[in-house]
Parts: sequence; C-alpha cells; structure tokens
Amino acid sequence: MAAYLVRKLLLTIPTILGIVLITFLLFRVVARDPARAYAGKEKSEAQLQAIRHEMWLDKPVWKQFLLTTVFQFPHSMRYKESVWTLIARKAPVSLAIQVPVFFIALGLQLVLALFTASRRGQVPDYLVTFFTVLGMSVPPLSIYIASQWLFGGYLRWFPVAGWSTGFFYAIHFAALPIVVSVMMDIGWGTRFYRTTVLEEISNDYVRTARAKGVQGREVLLTHVLRNVMIPVVTNTVVALPFLITGALLLERLFQIPGMGGMLVDAIHTQDEPVVMAIVYTTAVAYCLMLVMTDVLYAWVDPRVALK
Amino acid sequence: MTAITHDLPNAACADVVPDVPPPGLQETPRTLWGDAWKRLRSSVTSQICMGIVAIYVLVGLASLLPYFDRKINEPWNQDRTYAPPTLFTHDAQGHRHLAPPALWLGLEFQGRSVFWRVLYGTRIALLITVCASILSLGIGTVLGVIAGFYGGWIDDLITWLFSTVSSIPWLLLVIAMAYALQGNESPQFMQEHPKLQQLFGGVTTVILALGLTDWVNLCRLMRGEVIKLRDRDFVAAGRTMGLSNFRILFRHILPNTTHLIIITFSLGAVAYVQVEVVLAFLGLGITDKPSWGKMIDDAKLELLRGVWWQVTAATVAIFILCLALNILGDALRDALDPRLRGVD
Repeated sequence: MAAYLVRKLLLTIPTILGIVLITFLLFRVVARDPARAYAGKEKSEAQLQAIRHEMWLDKPVWKQFLLTTVFQFPHSMRYKESVWTLIARKAPVSLAIQVPVFFIALGLQLVLALFTASRRGQVPDYLVTFFTVLGMSVPPLSIYIASQWLFGGYLRWFPVAGWSTGFFYAIHFAALPIVVSVMMDIGWGTRFYRTTVLEEISNDYVRTARAKGVQGREVLLTHVLRNVMIPVVTNTVVALPFLITGALLLERLFQIPGMGGMLVDAIHTQDEPVVMAIVYTTAVAYCLMLVMTDVLYAWVDPRVALK
Repeated sequence: MTAITHDLPNAACADVVPDVPPPGLQETPRTLWGDAWKRLRSSVTSQICMGIVAIYVLVGLASLLPYFDRKINEPWNQDRTYAPPTLFTHDAQGHRHLAPPALWLGLEFQGRSVFWRVLYGTRIALLITVCASILSLGIGTVLGVIAGFYGGWIDDLITWLFSTVSSIPWLLLVIAMAYALQGNESPQFMQEHPKLQQLFGGVTTVILALGLTDWVNLCRLMRGEVIKLRDRDFVAAGRTMGLSNFRILFRHILPNTTHLIIITFSLGAVAYVQVEVVLAFLGLGITDKPSWGKMIDDAKLELLRGVWWQVTAATVAIFILCLALNILGDALRDALDPRLRGVD
C-alpha cells in the first residue's frame, strides 16, 4: 500500500510540471503583457515598469517558474496583500456555503438514486429522470438570477444579496445560496449514482440475497449501498478542491466575499497574480486529490494495487 | 408411386418453384449505422428532438442574412427604452392588429427588439458549437488515434499531455484560456477579409478557449478504442496485404471509431452552450454581438426592476436546445454503443 502511494505520487511529478508549464504558457506567453493589461492605456512607461516589478515580471524566467512551482506568488495588485492571506480570509466564507451544499446534495442524491433504481421503469423513475434532465438543460445563471428575484425580491423570504460575519446573521444570508445550489446539484448526481446503483443491483450477490429472502430495502441499504460508496467517496474526494474555490457565479451574484468572488473580481480587474495563483493551486490540489482517489480505491479494493 | 402423389392434401404443392429461396433469407444486411438510424427514427421523442435541432439550425442559417444585422441594432422607437412583450396592438379606432414580430418578445434596455436578438443568438451559439467542436474533436481524434496506434514513446508523451490538461478542472481551464486570449487582436487573415471578420468577430476567443481545452475526453476514448482495434485480424490482414499505416488508419480503423465522435459531439454541444453563458457573465465572452449568455448577463439587473422578458427569452432558447441535444445524445448513445444499452 505504501509502495503504491509512493509510486502514484512520483507519477504526479511530471503532471505537476506540466501544469506549471501550461499555467505559464497561458498567463505569460499567450496573454498580452500583464502589466499593461492591469495598467490600462494611460500609464506611462515608468509606471509600467513599477507594475512589472511588482508582478515579478522583471525576474528571469526560470526564477519565475521556480517560484510558481513552490507556490510563491507576487502580491495581489488590487489588494496589495499576499495571495495566501487573501485565500485564508476568503476560503472559510466559501466553505461555509459549499460544505453544507455538498453534504445536503449528496444525501438527497443518494436517497433519490436508491429510490429510483429500486423502482426502475415505474412512474417515480420517469418523473425523477424527467426533472433531472430538465435541470441539466437550464443555464445555472438563469436559475440563480430567477431565484434571487423570486425568493429575495418578490417573496422577500431571504435577502437578495450580501454577507455578514457572526454565525446567526450569516445563516440568514447563506440560506438562499445553499438552497439554490442544492437544487442545481441534485440533477447530475442523482443520474450518476442511479447508474451506479443499477450496475450494482445487476450483480449476482444481490440475486443471492433476494433468493435467501432478504427484504428489498435491507438488500439496498446493507449490501448495495456499501458497494456504491466507493464511487461516492471517489467523487467526494475529487470535489474537495472545488469546495474551496466556491461557485464563481453564485458568489458574484449574491455578493458573497468568498474565493469564487475573488477570482471573478480578479478577472475583471486584470489582477493577474491572483488569477494565476488560484488556477495553479486548484489544479495542483485537484491532481493530488486524484492520487488520493486512486489510493482510496486501492485500499477498498486491494486487487487494484496489484496491477 | 403416382397413386401416392395424388393423395397429397394440398394440390398447390405441385406448383412449388424450386428457384425462389424461402422468405427468411432475403433481408438486407444490418449495419451499425442502419440499425442506429432505425432506432433513432422509431422513437417519437427522438424525432421531436431532431426536428427541434433542425429548426435551430435553419434559424441560425437564416440569420446570416444582412436583414438580421440591421434588426438587432435598430431601436424600435425614439424612446430607446423597455417595453413588455406585446402580441396585439390597438390603433386609433380600437381595432386589434397583430403586432410586428419585433415586439413579440418585448424590447430591452436600449429599445432593441428581443425577438430578433434571440434569433441572432442562435447563429452565435451554432457558430461557437460547430467551430469549437471541429477544433476539439479534431485535436482529440488526431492525438488519440496516433497515441493508440503507434504506442511507445509517442503514446507516453500524449498520455502525459492529456493527463496534465485533464488535471486542471475544465471550467477553470476555459476561464484561464479565455482570460489569456482576451483583448488579443484578431489574426492577420481575418483582418484582411472583412466578411470573415463580420462573421466571427469577437467569437474567436470563445471558440479557441472552448476548442483547445475540451479534447481530452475524446482523446482518451479514441486511444482506448484504437488500442483495442489494432490487434484485430483485419488490421493484420491489411498489413499482410501491404497497406501502409496511413491507409489502415484512415480506411479501416477510423471508420470504426466515428460513433465515439458523434456521441462526444452531441454532449459537447450542450456543454459549450452552457459555458458560453458563464464566460459572458465573467466578461470574457462575446461583447459586441448579442449572444444568449450576454442577454442573460445584461438582464440580471433588469429583473429587479421587473423586466423579465429578455432573460426569459434567452433562457428558454438555451433550455429547449440543450434539452433536445441531451435527449438526442442519450438516444444516440443507446443507438450507437450497444454495450451501453440496458444500463440506462
């Protein structure tokens, strides 16, 4: 097991190098001069030079490369703070919304998946499939805007936008984004887990259990659910980096000061260090989470590690 | 002997002509494509979805006419302000007339007709989908087939490439690419041909951002399929006959993988239309022409003032197209990939 982990980690090194390469290619080669992009058209050459110095653009290329690889980034141009300080301040806000959304959505997805898989081909199955396909076809932005208007502006059950520190006030502001996010996420997850459950049910051991006389519900909950947890856990682990990134559209629309909102603002203000830092960090985190997924898979199913 | 034949109950037996084969053996052979088309045609939902997609394509092609370019920009009247959707107007005597099409979906904040803008948005959406798909399917196919067929260090290199690109979450990669490409001047050849410039305009950023990032899935699928196919007998037979690698690839292996391309295309189309909305929201998408994403983005402040028609029109347009493509994609997958049937 340890050998498997080490082997997988070593294999990620060329991938991480590739990520640095791609990030650099995108932000330094393909993009036009980041300093001019930030400064706009009016600045003089001297001011441009100062901005370049702040963005570390005057350092030799290999040094910029190295610094990026070890997660050292220049200060944000807009906030004049280290990117990590900003992340430390904004990530908890994003997490405060994404973590409840994730677990509530997961619970609902599993319940719906088990429910529709056990009633395959009947009316509830068709209804749920119908609504999930509907949900996947609507652009999420429209749902966010519409629910902001409906629940915030028209019914006035929730505030339209905003945030506040302090736990009880924050719930007031977080409720609508959480509800809307859960509504959007259920569709895809239910379909995916339903397929997984159906594949699981077609196995021989389920037929054996039923032949032994085990009730349908017990078969589902005791046997099938355990085996379905493998893809569920792998999905969970892979989704972790996105919890921190937060939902870009959601945070911008509801004026939530999380990491997603920070990324959107950085894009608007051409704050290149922040954009590059978030893209690179999220990519590396995602890569490491994939390794974790492989290891978890091997731990649950030891045959995988022998390949 | 003759007495026995006269005793046969069915005298028609004597008329049997021995040359005609019995009915069961005369069917035309079934091919994957014929079979798939029959399946697609048989279901009513599939037919409706194909019809819907065909309507969208026709509208998109129709909006290439210069009539549309004028209509999306001209304000309806001097007021240059909102107007709700109106189907009927009343004239001075109180008679009811059908309103002109420009008013059917209302006017947006500059007095321009939502109806024509939604129809124009179809063209932008189709342009993005087709061009980005050509790009991503092209890259994915070429790299996947080369990796699968030749193996060795080429395979390792391409595998490293797509592992790396797929390690970056796709939405983030699209945003990063669109961010990097924004503000770049159009390529030289486009500035020399004003007609191309007019056709594409600000759409190139989105096309490149989507097309250059989405090839990984297809690459993986193609590589897997080609690896399976290259050990088959027909490839060995081709080599024995002296066919060049190129010919084997093009004439024998590639046609066996086109079902993957079609399925990936239908799924990708939905994703491109949806992500274009996100890019428009971030300001990285199309800025000068009305695309559906831009209309939704413009409308986000309007809604709080009670102006609902622009966002509704764009949302419904996207929704119907994506729904039809989703259902069609499912049906295509069922029709073309026999292994996926039965699991739903």
